[in-house]
Amino acid sequence: MSIAKRLLHGLVSILGASVIIFLISRLSGDPLALLLPADAPPDVIEQTRQHLGLDQPLVAQYLKFLGHALTGDFGNSYRWQEPALGLILDRLPATVELALAALAFSIAMAVPFGVLSAVHRGSWFDRFAKVFAMVGQAMPNFWVGLLLILFFAVQLNWLPAFGRESWSSLVLPAIALGWYPVAAQTRIVRSAMLDVLDSDYIRMGRAMGLPERVLVWKYALRNAAIPLVTILGVYFAAMLGGAFVVEVIFAWPGVGRTVVEAVFARDFPVVQAGVMLTSVLFVLSNLLVDLSYSLIDPRIRHG
Amino acid sequence: MADLTAAKTASAADSAIAGAPLRRRGAIAWGTLPWFALLVFPVLIVCALGGELLLPHDPNALDLGIAFLPPAWLDGGNWAYPLGTDNMGRDLLTRIMAGTRISLVVALYAILISGGIGTAAGMLAGYFGGRLDALIMRLVDIQMSIPSLALALVLAAVLGPGFETVVLVIVITYWTWYARIVRGEVMSLKQRDYVALARVAGCGTPTIFRRHLLPNLLNTLLVLATLQVGQVIIFEASLSFLGLGIQQPDVSWGLMLADARNYITNAWWAITMPGLAIMATCLASNLLGDWLRDRFDPKRRQL
Amino acid sequence: MQQHPASARSKLTITIGALAFGAMTALWGTAQAAPATGSLTVAFGAESTTLDPVRISAGVDHYFVGQIFEMLVRRNASLQDENWLAESWKLETGKDGKPVLDVRLRKGVKFHNGDPLTAEDMEFSWQRQRDPKGSFFSHYVSSVERFEIVDAHRFKLHFKEPDAQFLVGNLQLWAMPKKYIQKVGEEEFARKPVGTGPWKFVSRTVKDELKLEAFDDYWNKNKRPGVKTLTIKVIPEDLTRVAAFKTGKVDWIDNVPPSMIEEFRKMPGVKTATLVSGNNLFLNFNTQMPKSPFNDVRVRQAAAHAIDVDAIIKRVLFGQGERYAQVGKGSNGYDPALKPYAYDPKRARELLKQAGYPNGFDTPCYNLTTPREPGVKEVGEAMYAYLSSVGIRCQVRNLEYGAWISLGKRGRSGPPEMDGVLSWMWSQGLPGDPGLAWSGHLHSYQPGGWGTYSYTNDAEVDALIEKQRQTMDPAARTELLKQIARLKHERVLGGLPTYRPLVTFAWREDKVHYVPWPIRDYWRAFQEVSLKQAQ
Repeated sequence: MSIAKRLLHGLVSILGASVIIFLISRLSGDPLALLLPADAPPDVIEQTRQHLGLDQPLVAQYLKFLGHALTGDFGNSYRWQEPALGLILDRLPATVELALAALAFSIAMAVPFGVLSAVHRGSWFDRFAKVFAMVGQAMPNFWVGLLLILFFAVQLNWLPAFGRESWSSLVLPAIALGWYPVAAQTRIVRSAMLDVLDSDYIRMGRAMGLPERVLVWKYALRNAAIPLVTILGVYFAAMLGGAFVVEVIFAWPGVGRTVVEAVFARDFPVVQAGVMLTSVLFVLSNLLVDLSYSLIDPRIRHG
Repeated sequence: MADLTAAKTASAADSAIAGAPLRRRGAIAWGTLPWFALLVFPVLIVCALGGELLLPHDPNALDLGIAFLPPAWLDGGNWAYPLGTDNMGRDLLTRIMAGTRISLVVALYAILISGGIGTAAGMLAGYFGGRLDALIMRLVDIQMSIPSLALALVLAAVLGPGFETVVLVIVITYWTWYARIVRGEVMSLKQRDYVALARVAGCGTPTIFRRHLLPNLLNTLLVLATLQVGQVIIFEASLSFLGLGIQQPDVSWGLMLADARNYITNAWWAITMPGLAIMATCLASNLLGDWLRDRFDPKRRQL
Repeated sequence: MQQHPASARSKLTITIGALAFGAMTALWGTAQAAPATGSLTVAFGAESTTLDPVRISAGVDHYFVGQIFEMLVRRNASLQDENWLAESWKLETGKDGKPVLDVRLRKGVKFHNGDPLTAEDMEFSWQRQRDPKGSFFSHYVSSVERFEIVDAHRFKLHFKEPDAQFLVGNLQLWAMPKKYIQKVGEEEFARKPVGTGPWKFVSRTVKDELKLEAFDDYWNKNKRPGVKTLTIKVIPEDLTRVAAFKTGKVDWIDNVPPSMIEEFRKMPGVKTATLVSGNNLFLNFNTQMPKSPFNDVRVRQAAAHAIDVDAIIKRVLFGQGERYAQVGKGSNGYDPALKPYAYDPKRARELLKQAGYPNGFDTPCYNLTTPREPGVKEVGEAMYAYLSSVGIRCQVRNLEYGAWISLGKRGRSGPPEMDGVLSWMWSQGLPGDPGLAWSGHLHSYQPGGWGTYSYTNDAEVDALIEKQRQTMDPAARTELLKQIARLKHERVLGGLPTYRPLVTFAWREDKVHYVPWPIRDYWRAFQEVSLKQAQ
């Protein structure tokens, strides 16, 4: 599929997503009850409804929303009277930071585990790594987060449990978020390493007398890295989505947490802006991954 | 989604790791049986079917006087409450057992319905191709471009929390798994001789679906369904944790974790025990699913 | 005239003495109003959604608005009403028999931008507050039909009908700067507010912090902050807020979690203040559906006897609640003779039997899960468990804030119906006046304003509530309130009162001197705060 066609598909996906999110958030209830005082008289309620444009038919509201969204205007947050997109974008760096840190953590775990498992194939280490990875994949990331808080913050008091104060606040949330992909990534590294270690290329290096260590960590790993790197894009996208719950637990001031709060507060503009942004990033990441797949392995490119 | 693509590459690796023994079709290699899963699943099913009869206490019975009892083997514990009590004096073991039922029922409904819809969609897309295929795949793409938790959040906010909503949300999120994989399988099955023959013989499409396609899909579906149990349970736990899933007086492990979060400093067991239940269930499902997949055909790249 | 040298010298001495004396007095005077120094960082558990007084929609909005803006009358640290921006005021009867409020403004009050406060600003404020297009509570000032400016520091409010709520509500008017708002417009004003309060707005980051600076030209030289910069951080998560205090990032925190209050009280160098927060919680019963068991007063009384509120306060809230019968202690209309229903499950079962439910009945029970007050969810669960134990079998339905508000509101078309028991709250304020609250949840529902969240329909009580609204004489009104309270109590109308939450603030005693002041009906004003050492 050509790049243009892929982009078009991506665009259609995002558009479709916008319709879905728009409709659903409108159906989630009347925001006015939450914005106004309990004893607000009917004329105040009407005024506010008109002011927010909530009295228009749904289609009109959607078209207006879409029109403005294309120019980057998602309206003002009902709750904070500030531009909704601004509120989301302000918090995007925090989410990206968290996703990157989580990714870094998962790679830092997966690569050594994967390589060593491949090198010592069949050994106790290999089996241990497999079990460890399997167990890790069975733990929900928010539970991992809670356990980390319990252990490192409450019991040992080593690391901060909440907020985004210093670099050390990043540690626990990154581990919680990056935990899940470690298993799959380990397997990828391991299998790629196994393939490479068996190849002529490496055999020749061995015949030439290169030390095993160099062979493994310098040459073999480079080749094994390729499938891992291509998958990183997918995982980055997944982290963006998975960050929602982790952000809530760690009070991490990111997009996910903001959207969760906005959903509960029926703050449509913010929900729309947040989910749309995440979707766009999601689609872009997947597009990039698809592209890199076809670049790296021409066999995968399909017409 | 990330898990799918990762799973694609991982399973290829896995099959390499699984080793020779399984290649002998029909022979059972006792050493590789998923013992853990075979132990855990019956326990879960018994808990689920046993219902109230098996519960040591009433899962919702409050007794403020015995709040925060630690597990029985610790100081201050009481063997009448083996895993301790929560902040309202409710027995944790009872609640975990009660939660088993809900979790498995949710999983059952969700898997059956999403599997049904996804399989149907996949079969239609794969068999007929063309416009129908494009339409269905477009839907899948649109759906997958919205991070699943974000979609779930917004949906749950609209529909209100509860059992039905959780099932619906999971169905909407997971049908795409089945659709994609079944589509791929059907596309390759379509080429087989017996299908062509059946068509020539004048078999109607429904018959072909029923007699020729479906039986060949069963293995795949079984593996998918088993793997999905763990996923679904984690997803439901995440939703309940955020407050949009299972509600009182029903008990859910995710809900228990959400409650326990507030008094994490007072009762570490309230956080740990329900999470262990989730982990055990998910691990069992993964192990069983992997074993089934390897057993049916280790060469399967689709998964 | 020729001066005698000696008398000239003594004249000089006298002059120098007079000058010196004058200088000293002047210095002493300025020392009194010495500029504030140092900075203080505090943490709130919730934040305002707006900085514009006319867009206040919930109690929480006062937390920020009240630091920057002021009203004509104010409750002070002892919860007494004090003339604030109004130097004096008088309630008279006009020629047509309608009430007139004659207000004299304090002289020398300045806005943060230097503009002086005049009657014109108060008229402008009144116009802003009564316009439903911009203001969320135009109905609070709608009883004033004409604003008469007598001179720059005196004005008269002509009421179209008596309105007791006007007096209870500190004469309702916030002082907003006319010239400034007309110059910069409404939106800019909401972003960069200017008021007469002790704190000047510096900056605000939503969901993060509010930065304020002490206003040097603040009119009240006796009660004013001694700190120059105040940073209010917003930390909704309990544990994070506590951690911020413990690690020294903030020196004052709001809302110490009930489970940690003991720990805080024992902390060296830390002072705490536990105060009634001004909110009133109760259980409301569905009495507007024809077949509801709660239509029978005996069933409601059974519910009242079924719950051991004291145990719940002690166990679930760690003691951080105060019981109240209908009106809190110290509030207007408080009647010490009225005691909360005693915990008596046997009596409860008997009453149910008398009402025709010997085996009890099933009913949905709606519970709020969002912690608007600490532990609301757990308290609700506990209360419903007690109800279930006497036979009022609760099918608990948990609702988060948005759904809960939607469910409680009357006048919606369509489902869901509030068809059972609903845990609710409506602040009677500090020190407390039930007038507004009862208009909302005790008076029967009538489209147009009364009973917006009410499930009661008692004509006698309705009449009394309407009467107290029109009775501006405090003594007569208090009597009416007591009457209403008695009826409300006997017939268990407008819900069953459960408790008033207590809120605890904590600060570092060796560093900060702080006196809790209320803003309207809520605490958290930093009227009197200073640093103990030079920072």
